[in-house]
Amino acid sequence: MSTTWGTARPPADAGVIAAGVDAGTECVKAVIVSAEGRLLGRAVVPARGYFQACVYEVLVAALDEAQRAEGELAGIGATGFAMDCVPGATLTATEAACHALGAFHHVGERMTLVNIGGRDPHLIQVDTDGRRVEARNVRRCAVGVGSFLMFTARHLDVIPTRLQELASAAERPAAVSSYCSVFSATGILERLREGSTREEIALGCMHSIAERIVELGGFEDPVYVCGGVVEYFPGVMRALETLSGKVVRPIPDPIFTGALGAALKVLQTPQEA
Amino acid sequence: MNHDGMAGYGEDRQAGRPAGLRSAEALRDTMGAYYRTLGEGSGGRPPVAWCSSVGPVELLRALGFAVFFPENHAAMLGAARSANRYMPLAHAQGYSQDVCSYLTSDIGAYLAGETPLSAFGLTSVPRADVLVFNTNQCRDVRDWFEWYGRRWDAPVIGVRSPRSIEQVTDGDVDAVAKQIEALIPTLEAVAGERLDGSRLALAVAAARECSDLWGACLGTAAARPAPLTFFDGTIHMGPAVVLRGMEEACAYYRTLLAELQQRVVEGVAAVPGESLRLYWDGMPVWGRLRALATTFAEFRTSVVASTYCNSWIFSDLDAGDPIRSMARASLNLFIARSEAPKEQYIERMAGQFGVDGLIFHDCRTCPNNSNTRYAMPQRLSSRLGLPSLVLDGDVNDLRCYSDEQGRTNIEGFVEQLADARAARRQAVGG
Repeated sequence: MSTTWGTARPPADAGVIAAGVDAGTECVKAVIVSAEGRLLGRAVVPARGYFQACVYEVLVAALDEAQRAEGELAGIGATGFAMDCVPGATLTATEAACHALGAFHHVGERMTLVNIGGRDPHLIQVDTDGRRVEARNVRRCAVGVGSFLMFTARHLDVIPTRLQELASAAERPAAVSSYCSVFSATGILERLREGSTREEIALGCMHSIAERIVELGGFEDPVYVCGGVVEYFPGVMRALETLSGKVVRPIPDPIFTGALGAALKVLQTPQEA
Repeated sequence: MNHDGMAGYGEDRQAGRPAGLRSAEALRDTMGAYYRTLGEGSGGRPPVAWCSSVGPVELLRALGFAVFFPENHAAMLGAARSANRYMPLAHAQGYSQDVCSYLTSDIGAYLAGETPLSAFGLTSVPRADVLVFNTNQCRDVRDWFEWYGRRWDAPVIGVRSPRSIEQVTDGDVDAVAKQIEALIPTLEAVAGERLDGSRLALAVAAARECSDLWGACLGTAAARPAPLTFFDGTIHMGPAVVLRGMEEACAYYRTLLAELQQRVVEGVAAVPGESLRLYWDGMPVWGRLRALATTFAEFRTSVVASTYCNSWIFSDLDAGDPIRSMARASLNLFIARSEAPKEQYIERMAGQFGVDGLIFHDCRTCPNNSNTRYAMPQRLSSRLGLPSLVLDGDVNDLRCYSDEQGRTNIEGFVEQLADARAARRQAVGG
């Protein structure tokens, strides 16, 4: 193997480790995983500027947390919107495949997995081996969830991570369209003009995202959610429960599910002699 | 680089380039000669009839018209990726962004005074002496022709066809045949001659032969590996669209068929290393034909059959009963049928071509040619056990198509199919 991050095979007495990178539209995530699938290190940075620079920053941080060196990596698995921008990647795989495997690693059973990232939510059916057997995406007009939340935060005059706090204080959601991300954004301004509270609008936004996902259909028990939106906005998960009538559970460390799956795929791939 | 789960898919993005057909040169000659006839000077030029792509062209051939197909022109605008420059001009005239982008790009190009036919010596689309539509495909063709009819003060006539037909009945055929017959007096007046029954029979016979030859060409893709793909088909169907009823089209398809049959014998694949086979329903995305062909080829996936290319096979045409057989052929057309016969058709095609999955193009401005909106993909996937993918896009308006979303969806779909196949093999082997 020859990568930007190191070329050495792991020492004989050190366990094999692999890195996974999920280069998303809103955040770039990295994990370091042991051969036993133990999470040794993780890091996330906002996506800005060149993806390659973000990948470098996040991988160094994850290795630092794991207290391991670049040269020990058996490989780097890449997934996400900018997976082709991960220098030294030894394997690329689709988001659906990686999220399925990452979630299965935690849960160990077949499931309906809802991955809600910054771009387009997916509904993934995962089989008893951790493989994705079907994946559905939202309609073209309903994508851009991350940008939608950023817009909402700006007009509600809070930093994005405080949206959840606002939503938690609402008694009912304001009506926010789920048909189109641009219509939804305009709807927020209309609700503000009409006198809805910021809290109601924040909760309405969570429901707007959940509606786009519920209309995909195919919610079969058990239902789990992962992705960055769930990490920062658990209100979306609760809205999903309300609208689908299903118990919806989060995958641990939901923002890292895709990166974890990418790293596990490296470990599953036969290594070169 | 190993693209996980896809057993080498995409590992060399150059290696899977689709192989070109030698007949492409003959195709260019055939199409070029046709376009140049449309530009001949008015002195001695036959009268010009515009015809919708699945309209009653045989009648026009028999009366000696030079026939122009604006849908073919619009597809050229789409393939040249110039359509988006022209559409706003038609939108500004009141034609919505949601109506047929063939219509808006063609009218827009006319308003801009531009045409890709300039490569064949034409300065504009040929001015019509009469415009003949058939609404078996949609209402938009009629609205499109009426815009030009008003502009040129030319008669706009046509067949107002029943649609969403469960079973084509004799009553349906009678009704459409009467409408075709009713076109004759106007066409005779414009052509300045009487319809000759024997010439009509000859035109119908030539159209049927063209149709049969084109069908045979497409049928070769049932072989493994397939010698041509849907993307090849969209280019090579040109003569079946614009020269149906003419010997030139038959001559071209004899050449193409011979090459394809030779490919089958020699095992030459349109997609080197073909591993997966798909069916395409709906319109092409003209401005992304090459990009999509390359993407599928990277994943060693051959789109081997389609509803679209097969829509120019008219097996009902019968020189012994010209007008009624034209009526029956126009009614039996896939796009004119209801959901049940459409599903039976796709089921037959999926079996004949041995596909692993179905792709449905949800064409934003062409609802009549989008079979995604009333749960057909879900019903077919469930019944046939074949996964399906819906691609959002448009025939000409590239604002409705996202390269990133398209590629991500195709990549995930191919990966899913490859995984499913590997799991099946493992189960059988284990």
